[in-house]
Amino acid sequence: MSDDPDKVWPTGLSLKEAEEVHSYLIDGTRVFGAIALLAHILVAFSTPWLG
Amino acid sequence: MFDYRAFAIRRLTSLAPRYLPFADVATKDVPLLRLLRLSLFQVTVGMALVLLVGTLNRVMIVELAVPATLVAGMLALPLLFAPFRTLIGFKSDTYRSALGLRRVPYIWKGTMYQFGGFAIMPFALLVLSGYGEAVDAPRWVGLSSAALSFLLVGAGVHMVQTVGLALATDLVKQEDQPKVVGLMYVMLLFGMVISALIYGALLANYTPGRLIQVIQGTAVVTVALNLLALWKQEGRNRERARQMEVAPVIRFRDAWGALIARPGTMRLLCVIGLGTFGFGMADVLLEPYGGQALGFSVAETTRLTAVLAGGTLLGFAYASNALSAGGSPARLAGLGALIGIPGFLAIILSAIAGGPTLFVLGTLATGLGAGLFGHATLTATIRGAPAEQIGLSLGAWGAVQATCAGIGVALGGLVRDILVALPAFSGLAVHTPYNAVFAIEILFLALAILVAIPLFARRGQTLGAAAPHRDPAEVS
Repeated sequence: MSDDPDKVWPTGLSLKEAEEVHSYLIDGTRVFGAIALLAHILVAFSTPWLG
Repeated sequence: MFDYRAFAIRRLTSLAPRYLPFADVATKDVPLLRLLRLSLFQVTVGMALVLLVGTLNRVMIVELAVPATLVAGMLALPLLFAPFRTLIGFKSDTYRSALGLRRVPYIWKGTMYQFGGFAIMPFALLVLSGYGEAVDAPRWVGLSSAALSFLLVGAGVHMVQTVGLALATDLVKQEDQPKVVGLMYVMLLFGMVISALIYGALLANYTPGRLIQVIQGTAVVTVALNLLALWKQEGRNRERARQMEVAPVIRFRDAWGALIARPGTMRLLCVIGLGTFGFGMADVLLEPYGGQALGFSVAETTRLTAVLAGGTLLGFAYASNALSAGGSPARLAGLGALIGIPGFLAIILSAIAGGPTLFVLGTLATGLGAGLFGHATLTATIRGAPAEQIGLSLGAWGAVQATCAGIGVALGGLVRDILVALPAFSGLAVHTPYNAVFAIEILFLALAILVAIPLFARRGQTLGAAAPHRDPAEVS
């Protein structure tokens, strides 16, 4: 098992598993980023801070 | 030296589970603590419901001066998403994951939507109400962002609840499922009561800043509780991942057709819809009825809600016991609707003859009936579901239940308002419009019982055959 070329060091996850974990991270970052952007725009409408 | 700390902890751990109504659900595989932890997602669902339907409903109309019709429209938006629960449940059943996960990715996604909705909601509401410089902002900005925030929260709640219930069903053995259903309902009620009290205290002195703090605090608490709930609940499973990879692709239409083709499924969904609608219409009317028709003070009407919740809890507890002892869920659901009918009759009569005592008794009976009905129909759904379609079945349950409850609440208020506004009724007593709604509820509960009658015999038989063997020691 240890010399399986499919394994990603050092987690022991296979390539596919690692990619899936990564995809959750990327999706989460995108969603949170979009939400933060929208929230900032809305705040700028009610209390503008850039003149 | 005598170790008091160890002694106290040992005593407490041996004592505490006995005082929890659903403690004996703990099996070797899934300890009680883990189930309690999982049920935290229902607390976040309850929080979201109370914030939307109770707190924001009032804050938007009173403090933010948003027109009432617009508020009602915004609050109805999450309902639009309810039918998609079936799709979410189906997708979680057929999810392909290299990690072997099925439910957790969807709970996480739902949590993100819930968080996202709450994160932008306060600012969207402030823009919508024209706070600060937002007076000059184009109208569509406030409208669309507020609509988006409500949609996001609604979508998140539907996802989390559907898939969370499916996960809970996956985790426990069949004979323990009624108790898990009871636990989930109790936690939903618990979350709603606690958050209603907390929101009420926090928003007693309203400021825009406080509104932002409260809603965004809800967002953070939601993420925290949901993370705690799903943490390590579903293990990594290479075996299942391999099966998922080779599993045939099933289309939603085929899966739905297979589910509906099972005898009794469609009928059960009809019963759920009729009964939920019947019980749901009274939700927002009991308090004003008590106030207007019977002259209850604000504190007394609040206590009325406690009576209703207490009756519901009794219903859950009784249903958990009766169903895990091998009772028929369909019959118990019928019993729940049957208890609701005299309950509503008592409420109607209380304004004419019986007085407050009869009214409180009627409220208790409707709460008890609603608790029995809700628990029994959800248990029937879970028991009727094939193992590979649990998500889809629970999605169908949730879609019907959420839609009918929402329409019931909306129509209850609407019918009353229309009857009050009609000139032909202007000379009538103040309780007449309410009693018309309560009479409609009796009608729907009777319809639910009529539709359910063919289920009584069959469910009893299949259940008798499939009734799990229980040790005598376990039953006590």
